[in-house]
Amino acid sequence: MPLLFPSNEWTQAYMQAVNSSDAYRQAGKDWTHGPLALVVKAEPALGLAKDTALILDLHQGVCRKAWVTEDMDEANRQPFCITGSYAQWKQVIRKQLDPIKGMMQGKLKLKGNLTVIVKFVKAAQELVNATTTVETKFLDEK
Amino acid sequence: MTYSADLNFSFAHTRRVNFGAGALNEIGSLVGDLGFERALIVTDAFLLEKTDFVERARKSLGPRCAGVYGGVVPDPTAESIDRGADEARRIGCDVLISIGGGSAIDTAKGMAVVLREGGRVLDHEGYHALTREPWPHIAVPTTAGTGSEMTMVTVIKDTARGQKTFIGSYYLHPLAAVLDPELTVKMPAKLTAATGLDAMSHAVESLLSNLRNPISDACAIQAIELIVNNLPRCLRQPDDLAARGQMLIAAALAGSAFSNAMVVLNHALAHALGARFGVHHGTANAIFLPHTMRYFSDVAADRLALVARALGISEADQQRAAHQAADFMESFIRGAGLGERLSDYGVKEADLPGLAELALGDGSIIYSPKTISEIEEVVGLLKQAL
Repeated sequence: MPLLFPSNEWTQAYMQAVNSSDAYRQAGKDWTHGPLALVVKAEPALGLAKDTALILDLHQGVCRKAWVTEDMDEANRQPFCITGSYAQWKQVIRKQLDPIKGMMQGKLKLKGNLTVIVKFVKAAQELVNATTTVETKFLDEK
Repeated sequence: MTYSADLNFSFAHTRRVNFGAGALNEIGSLVGDLGFERALIVTDAFLLEKTDFVERARKSLGPRCAGVYGGVVPDPTAESIDRGADEARRIGCDVLISIGGGSAIDTAKGMAVVLREGGRVLDHEGYHALTREPWPHIAVPTTAGTGSEMTMVTVIKDTARGQKTFIGSYYLHPLAAVLDPELTVKMPAKLTAATGLDAMSHAVESLLSNLRNPISDACAIQAIELIVNNLPRCLRQPDDLAARGQMLIAAALAGSAFSNAMVVLNHALAHALGARFGVHHGTANAIFLPHTMRYFSDVAADRLALVARALGISEADQQRAAHQAADFMESFIRGAGLGERLSDYGVKEADLPGLAELALGDGSIIYSPKTISEIEEVVGLLKQAL
């Protein structure tokens, strides 16, 4: 059954998808830089009333924990926090927007050290690939 | 040249550019036109003590000069930027004027963020995370190379973590750039060549980048033409103001090109060589540039043919044009007095895997026209430059 994005169910399924990915395990094996927060900006028209963050505790090729929060202080406290609109995250999940290119073009906003992120471009690609294995229902689709 | 149907890009640059010999002497009028009353000059100790640039700016600003922060250091540290912001707050200013090379301009960009957002500069590291204009900043470059006066990025050395970090944002472009060729005539020949070839690398690499777009390409092509015609003139006759001016324009155009399209493998290699062997950034770029061009000739002959045309080479076959461009670049760099090899800096074959590994971990590599993931591939390229 398709899982609604963003939701806790989707996030847990995504964590499983990441941890099932051999390609991510390999590409992210040197990641020791802490959790990553992905913030979806509020979109009241779609029913997303508040900014919502998916926080992924990534470490050495594994996602140790993943959770959803509307507490933006918590999201901003993570070493890396990437913010985008609902439409942009949908493009990322559908592989229509490369997340690193999105950051360079200002479509996604990064808080954190860009030089660290770009060293893990392959890991970023594998994180995106993992999203495609989660059957996703988007808020703007019936 | 055609662009793909799914082309999409944003292009941004510095809003206003004032160019002309003696333009620095008019900075007081510019500051007044923009509605500012208290300007803080941001510069380094050398320019403050050994040149009259700051004095000229002070004289032009008159009562609008609030003071000078002379604490700019090469490869600006977070501490030097925070000290500058503290000084700006103490003095009270409504605009920053950076006078110097990339370090002065980057320092002022960092100060501008801290003055607007508060905290310390490292609190704001990130890309496109700023949500409003930082403190107003006018950039006055005294070298023709980094192009920082046209870019949206400041590079900061985080000494505590032992790494470099960035603040990048469309908001970070200076409010204005003042390009005054009189400020570059005293640059020594080696620095003129190294900074000029840094600008050449920016232009060529932005054309090779997968993030290039029609506007960045136009800037890059014009920059290459200006550099190939004017760098030799600057080296032959250092006080040739026309040539110096066109090199400043070339550096600014190349800055606009790479700020929007990014750089590629060549800069990754130059960063690695600079970090391990202390080679000047422009010199390091010059060492690798012809080899990088040859390396990409199999996948980017069309773009290298544009480089060839800008260099004055007329060759219809793209593959041949790409190779001729690389050969031309090699002799052009040698002609500029920078035909050095890695071994001239004490690099040995045993050092190459370490350099390659460092380059592979550099963010500049990711928009290269082909994916580079094997260390042996990079070592092979480095051997060409040994």
